[in-house]
Amino acid sequence: MDRKEFLKYGAMGVFGMTMLPANLFAQQTKTANKSLFPAALPFSTKGEWKEFEISIGITEQTLAPAMKIHTLAFNDMVPGPEIRVKQGDKVRVIFKNNTDLNHTIHWHGIYVPWRMDGVPYVTQMPVMPGQEFVYEFTAEPYGTHFYHCHWGTLLHMQSGMFGSVIIESDDDPIKKAFPYEREYTLIYSAHDVNYIRNELNSMLERMKERSFLMKNGRFSAERFNLFNTKEELLESINNGYQPPYLTNQRTSAELPIPNWFTVNGKSYPSTPYLFIKTGENIRIRLINAGTENHHLHLHGHDFWMVCDDGVPLPQPWQRNTVSLSPGKTYDIIVEGNNRGIWTFHDHDTRRVTNNGLYPGGNLLALVYEDLPKKERMVGGMSNMKMQGEMNLLPKIALDE
Amino acid sequence: MRKINLILILLASVVFAQAQVLPEIELGAKGVMSGNFENNNTIASSAVSDFSDSQLLLGFRQKLYNNWRSQMVFGMQFPDADSDLGQVFYNHVFLKLENQKNIFKIGRSTTQTILNEFPTLRDDDALLFNYALNPFADGTNTQDNQYGNVIEYTHVHNQRYWLTFHGENFTNLSEPNNFDLNAYGGSFLYSVPESQRWDRAIIQRLGVSYNNYVDEQTNTTGSDDLLSNILGTVTLNLRPDPVHFIDLKIQGIYNQGSNTVDRMSTYSEYVRMPSISTFGTIRYIYRKLERPFLQTSLGFGYKTFVNLNESEQLIGIANVFYRIGDNFDMGFQYRYLSNRGQTELLFGQTEHKIQLALIYSVSQLFNNQFDTRNSILNLEHKYLE
Ligand SMILES: [Cu+2]
Repeated sequence: MDRKEFLKYGAMGVFGMTMLPANLFAQQTKTANKSLFPAALPFSTKGEWKEFEISIGITEQTLAPAMKIHTLAFNDMVPGPEIRVKQGDKVRVIFKNNTDLNHTIHWHGIYVPWRMDGVPYVTQMPVMPGQEFVYEFTAEPYGTHFYHCHWGTLLHMQSGMFGSVIIESDDDPIKKAFPYEREYTLIYSAHDVNYIRNELNSMLERMKERSFLMKNGRFSAERFNLFNTKEELLESINNGYQPPYLTNQRTSAELPIPNWFTVNGKSYPSTPYLFIKTGENIRIRLINAGTENHHLHLHGHDFWMVCDDGVPLPQPWQRNTVSLSPGKTYDIIVEGNNRGIWTFHDHDTRRVTNNGLYPGGNLLALVYEDLPKKERMVGGMSNMKMQGEMNLLPKIALDE
Repeated sequence: MRKINLILILLASVVFAQAQVLPEIELGAKGVMSGNFENNNTIASSAVSDFSDSQLLLGFRQKLYNNWRSQMVFGMQFPDADSDLGQVFYNHVFLKLENQKNIFKIGRSTTQTILNEFPTLRDDDALLFNYALNPFADGTNTQDNQYGNVIEYTHVHNQRYWLTFHGENFTNLSEPNNFDLNAYGGSFLYSVPESQRWDRAIIQRLGVSYNNYVDEQTNTTGSDDLLSNILGTVTLNLRPDPVHFIDLKIQGIYNQGSNTVDRMSTYSEYVRMPSISTFGTIRYIYRKLERPFLQTSLGFGYKTFVNLNESEQLIGIANVFYRIGDNFDMGFQYRYLSNRGQTELLFGQTEHKIQLALIYSVSQLFNNQFDTRNSILNLEHKYLE
């Protein structure tokens, strides 16, 4: 059996039953697909406050079928739960750290009081293992935003510590211009899974040692690499202290080079579908919580770019590709005017890979629910003998 | 012609395989350079540069189907100047297959003749006390006791209990071309993984093992004689503190020997003489800034011979290692050896040995692609295949 043949059988055996979207239009597919978008986190009302509870732990994340990694996760999910509130709401988030690492939450794009900004040692002390921190702010401004950890950001963000914050308005300008019912949140990220694993292991080990000392009240500035002032650091260096960047240097090859690219924590073929009907407008909220530029391109359509960093644009832009740089959010409106199954993917196709193999990564599909069955057939490929539902499109391809 | 074709096919498939998945590559190197000053009763000697125990290791690891992993290790060591092993000794050439609970190993590698790792400058500094000695060797090469052609199976239970069955072909000087198994045994080890060091309780390691050398020479009936060694060891974290760490390691060996031996005028008789030996170290590590900075240890060993009254051996080792840079240590070691009774004739009465050493040891992993069994993530957050 050569490799191609092996892969063909392998793909059918492993993914054929569970993944092949022969039943793409079935109700159960649509229900399952819903779980691939961040669900709004329930809150309790405490006086004028909407109170949310978020904890952080270490869990197992399945990026693609059979591909698992250890990751950090808010409330056991990647991305974390969506915080969806109304503009002007009083928001309280009780954040509990259930890991052996330090964390904070930074509210990206939100006008929080500065002590709620989640930057360790600048606006607050890190939330240490077992500790709780309460974030309080008023939901402003309107639009698509996100939250993420700001401790060891390079590692913690790509290890799953991100989630969407949607601030709605009763008087939504976008809904007025483009009436819509359905909307989707897509959070992009990029991961060097080897970097994540190695760094988590070594950080956990270091933090265990530090926690051990902290418990006994044996803090030392040099051991913890934490100084009150620059003068204190310089004095330590004069006394023989070597900063970590001198003794622990990395070669450039050891800096993270992402090899997995996810949308809502999943890589193709596990990525979500965007369902639409002819004549329908859908709103897609694009968030880049990763370290890479994603040049997102939709086939067969132009779309309307309506918000930039949450801010409604005075004049929506008509386009088919948008460059979503790290930290950016865009809202786009797709008008259902060209029935079919259309891919929506990064046009830097290096990010349409899983561990270097195309296709994978941030590849997903816009699917018209009203596509007649006869248009979903393969047809004409006489050399491929397929029966029953096997002659439906789209299929899962893993090796092209 | 057919043979050539076959070879070509094999080569082609090897090349093809490498093009598919690049393995993890581990490069390990250790350089131990010491200046030695010895005084053996009246004879004083010195060696300006002794680089024995220096070695180079190259390992390849790869994921197999169904969550197994394979590893190939190739290692070479530079033996003592007075050994008869040549310039280079290949101490590791083995293949290992493992999954979460099972490990198979076959090839040249370390043998199960010791159950612990002691903080001496070189592995063999207390060899007569902390190894179950190879009775088929003549005592010239310490490697004859430490390495052999092994076949091993280990079952790992609950990430801490290691049950091993093993067979070895030890170097046999009287039959250098016989590669049959000439030893077998089993061991049971409780060992707390290194990554758990700041959670660990006082017991770091407990182990027992039973090793048998199959001796064809010692009796006249024509049947093989078993030379059995029972080993027991314990490592206690007396002070598992991140800054000032102290541990205690003790190992005991009961060598049942052969009852046909009644005196020790040769090395062969020495290793066959029933004996009890112990070796232990107490070690202090000062970990400045999350890295070991200073290590000092004291070691003592004692060996007595069950059937002989006056014969015994004693060893004392004191050393200190000081880190002068990442991966680089400076060391000083003093060793005292005393032999009484019949061992005096074999090894001399007393020996003082002072060593000043520089040690460079590095281990680098390239193309890392999966986790180790003992990582914190695997141990504490569900094992990932
Ligand atoms: Cu964090």
